[in-house]
Amino acid sequence: MNEEVYTAALKNALVEIKNVCPDINKAFILMDNGTIVAGDEQVVDPSVERAASSLQSLAEKAMSVGGLNDLLIDGDKGKVYVSQVNGMYSVMALSKRADLPFLRTVTGIILPTILKVLNSIGSETTLPAPIKPAPHVPFTQFRPIPSELLEKEEAVEETVEKAEEVEVPEPLEATEAEIEPEAEVEAEVESPKPPIDLPSQQLIVDRFGGLMVRADTVQIDFETLERWSSLLDVKEIREVDIETFSGKATRCKVKVISDQKYEGRGLIRIPEKTCETLELKRGELVRVKPVVPED
Amino acid sequence: MPVKKKVPQVQTAEQVEWVPKTEVKEQVADLRSVLDRIKAREGVIGYILRASTSAAVDIKDPSKIIDYAVLSASALESAESLSKTFGLGEISNIVVEGKDLKILLLTIGEHRISVFMEKNVDHDSIYREMT
Repeated sequence: MNEEVYTAALKNALVEIKNVCPDINKAFILMDNGTIVAGDEQVVDPSVERAASSLQSLAEKAMSVGGLNDLLIDGDKGKVYVSQVNGMYSVMALSKRADLPFLRTVTGIILPTILKVLNSIGSETTLPAPIKPAPHVPFTQFRPIPSELLEKEEAVEETVEKAEEVEVPEPLEATEAEIEPEAEVEAEVESPKPPIDLPSQQLIVDRFGGLMVRADTVQIDFETLERWSSLLDVKEIREVDIETFSGKATRCKVKVISDQKYEGRGLIRIPEKTCETLELKRGELVRVKPVVPED
Repeated sequence: MPVKKKVPQVQTAEQVEWVPKTEVKEQVADLRSVLDRIKAREGVIGYILRASTSAAVDIKDPSKIIDYAVLSASALESAESLSKTFGLGEISNIVVEGKDLKILLLTIGEHRISVFMEKNVDHDSIYREMT
């Protein structure tokens, strides 16, 4: 099954949801590959694209709370409800008095069911590539779904079935036993190396300046750099990534703290110019990660 | 007789800013006391109170401070973008739910507040207490 069919099915699902919940003014689905599927004839304008991109960024940052499941924005003229379904996000603009529990129930049933149906139909075809924070799709999703669910979704599925007859000759017969080994092989091919878990540390900012100071070089305790290099099994750490409280980030070269009186205090000494760029003040906390040298 | 040039009476910066500064200080103190009360509730993990030039953070796990600060800034940015796109007007509050935790974000005056809590905590009552 190709992506067009997938998109068409989701589009139909959004139209159906809108029919059931008249409180929805606009809706789109942000697919796991970054594609935006709009509900009806609505145009995906640049502002929608910007909103989708900021949502993707939020989804990445939300890993600290276990990933983004739901987002509700309550404004004085309406609401926006974002819900995560199988790594995709349905985004719905609602009227102020929208019945949120009802909408949650409807979207919580229709979208996952459709996605299950699509996955079971297209289990042998390539699904859209997941974006960075997308959760792993469990094997259970590839199991054929119960016949009652298929009957319930018959109306929405019509278009998908037509396309399926042409493109996918025998997908529903696939058993779990047939699918699992393939999925395992794919997983092995896609991730040959385990991701390196980079150590990071929160350090207190100390500004320093002077005529001979290079703006691109920060100073950190010898012990910290030593620990990182032994953890990462590299000769020396030459660069670090610095992330500020307000989300600004930069990469700098790193050296050992040259002045003894600043050693062992958990400080990162950052040149004034860089501090200004990052809008940092003395005493603020930053997160510092070592950069693994490529060679 | 020489005419005396009238010197316009200009208020110094200090005179202009004195009263608002006190008000702001009182407002921050009020907010912090409300937030400290809220933080004492079961399931509330902490809060971040940010103004244009200052921030107060009280999070149970200090190693998460930056993650949470970055997340709340990103949530506000994303909410503003979605609000503009869909014409929501002024945002009264935002709720971000993750798998493990949820966050209530709201703006009071120039202060941006993020309250971090477990998922079973009633964020509506926190919102009511804050506003």
